[in-house]
Amino acid sequence: MFKTEEMEINLGPQHPSTHGVLRVKLHLDGETITRCTPMIGYLHRGVEKICENKTFFQGQVWTDRTDYVASVSNNLGWAEGVEKLFGITVPRRAHYIRTMLTELNRITSHLLWLGTHALDIGAMTVFLYAFREREEILSIFEAFCGARLTTTAFRIGGLREDLPPGLEKLVRAFQARFLDCIDEYETLLTENRIWKKRTIGVALLNAEDAIALGVTGPVLRAAGSNYDIRKAFPYASYAEMDFEVATQTAADTYARYLVRLEEMRQAHRIINQCLDGLPEGPVMAKLPKVLKSEVNEVYHAIEAPKGELGYYFVGEKGGQNPYRMHIRAPSFINLQALSKMVVGRLLADVIAAIGTLDVVLGEVDR
Amino acid sequence: MASPRYSLLRTLIPFDIYGGMKLTGKYFGKVLRQANRGLKRTHVVVEYPEVPTTLMPRFRGRLQMIKDEQGEVKCVCCMACEKICPTQVITIEKGKKEGRKTPFPIRYDFEMERCIFCEFCVESCGFDSIILNHQFELATYNREDFSHAMEGGFQNMFDPTPVSHYSVSSED
Ligand code: SF4
Ligand code: SF4
Repeated sequence: MFKTEEMEINLGPQHPSTHGVLRVKLHLDGETITRCTPMIGYLHRGVEKICENKTFFQGQVWTDRTDYVASVSNNLGWAEGVEKLFGITVPRRAHYIRTMLTELNRITSHLLWLGTHALDIGAMTVFLYAFREREEILSIFEAFCGARLTTTAFRIGGLREDLPPGLEKLVRAFQARFLDCIDEYETLLTENRIWKKRTIGVALLNAEDAIALGVTGPVLRAAGSNYDIRKAFPYASYAEMDFEVATQTAADTYARYLVRLEEMRQAHRIINQCLDGLPEGPVMAKLPKVLKSEVNEVYHAIEAPKGELGYYFVGEKGGQNPYRMHIRAPSFINLQALSKMVVGRLLADVIAAIGTLDVVLGEVDR
Repeated sequence: MASPRYSLLRTLIPFDIYGGMKLTGKYFGKVLRQANRGLKRTHVVVEYPEVPTTLMPRFRGRLQMIKDEQGEVKCVCCMACEKICPTQVITIEKGKKEGRKTPFPIRYDFEMERCIFCEFCVESCGFDSIILNHQFELATYNREDFSHAMEGGFQNMFDPTPVSHYSVSSED
């Protein structure tokens, strides 16, 4: 009389918890997920192809628009990748300022993640507090480069201008109260019973699977690995900074939450060191008027807030633009783990899993 | 970490709820104390359309052309900005003007709907003849309204940042 069958439903592309236009096709057996396929491409703009038709200088503006939550990190990856291709040495002061801004950007990215992830799971309050601090950092970006989100902050060879007067004061004021702010988030979430119930043991991904899928960033570090490009292959001025890589071993959503909070604390430490040790000197290297590449290829990876962000350039002889450019986008690669995380679990866990992966659809689709 | 007895205590008495409520109460009380008392406000909400916002001096707004002290257009048609613009929204036509040694732009069009406010054009200009001003309320009803030109366009390239009810520039 009764018969049961699997149901196929779509989560998204306009679901508020998918953080953009992600469509997830789910096969359900009751409330248990039997198959999960992320469908992507709604935000595809062909950034890689556009960049191949633009000069090395112009291409940077498109990196703002891949991961728009962490555009400064993207700018850094682009700038350093191109500098590697041409063998340009950047002044030390520029490196310090870049490091500082990138770490501030890591905080904004994690704050956005914290706010929206908590909102998805049902904790409303944290969102407001997280965005209060994020706002302050965005004003710092506005003071430095004139834009809050699409920053185009760096230039090939260094920075466009030195820090504006008063910026150091802004950063110090932020630094002075930020540690207390993290404690506030912790008050609201870390021991919160509902939060713990919704996150502990949810969306498990062990280190072996994570490495096999190429997952990097906080998701990998929450599984016990301490792979962090800032330590493994130091770039900018990370080699001179004293910080620890945050790791956890539980490999669940709660562990990732703890890792990201700890990363914010470490970012706070790095920013302080950058401010205290800021060397004097120029911020721009001497460059030829027109950058013309040789036959050459480079891959440069940085530790973006979401994982390993790599830029791959192929230069052709005399070319002013990359012959081929590829972005190894951490969100795109981390999204592969979604299916592994949720199959066999309940529908409500998908929301937590999407949140914990911290994907930005602009970067997934590019 | 926590002993079993401690966790039993936690289960019986909801400390975490107390902590959270305390935090919320702290901020609620703070706002309540400051509301309508003329005190220095510490909350972050900006009452934007009623109260003008301040922008940072480096803010990147609409592209604007500059005239020098004699009221002459500073641009000398070196085409650097046209070339560097990543979205190709600047069109310049080179020409001559009587009594002027340097070339004079007879046309300088700027299609704002595709501009991404990157400031590359300003950076490339060696003659300081363009800036990105502090105008950020740029929405209009028609697509044509986005085309700016020296004259004849829907909007004038020389218009400075409007001193409107809504925005103030921290530059001046
Ligand atoms: S700001 Fe950028 S996009 Fe806009 S006109 Fe200048 S160079 Fe072009
Ligand atoms: S770069 Fe400056 S001087 Fe040259 S064409 Fe553009 S506005 Fe004129």
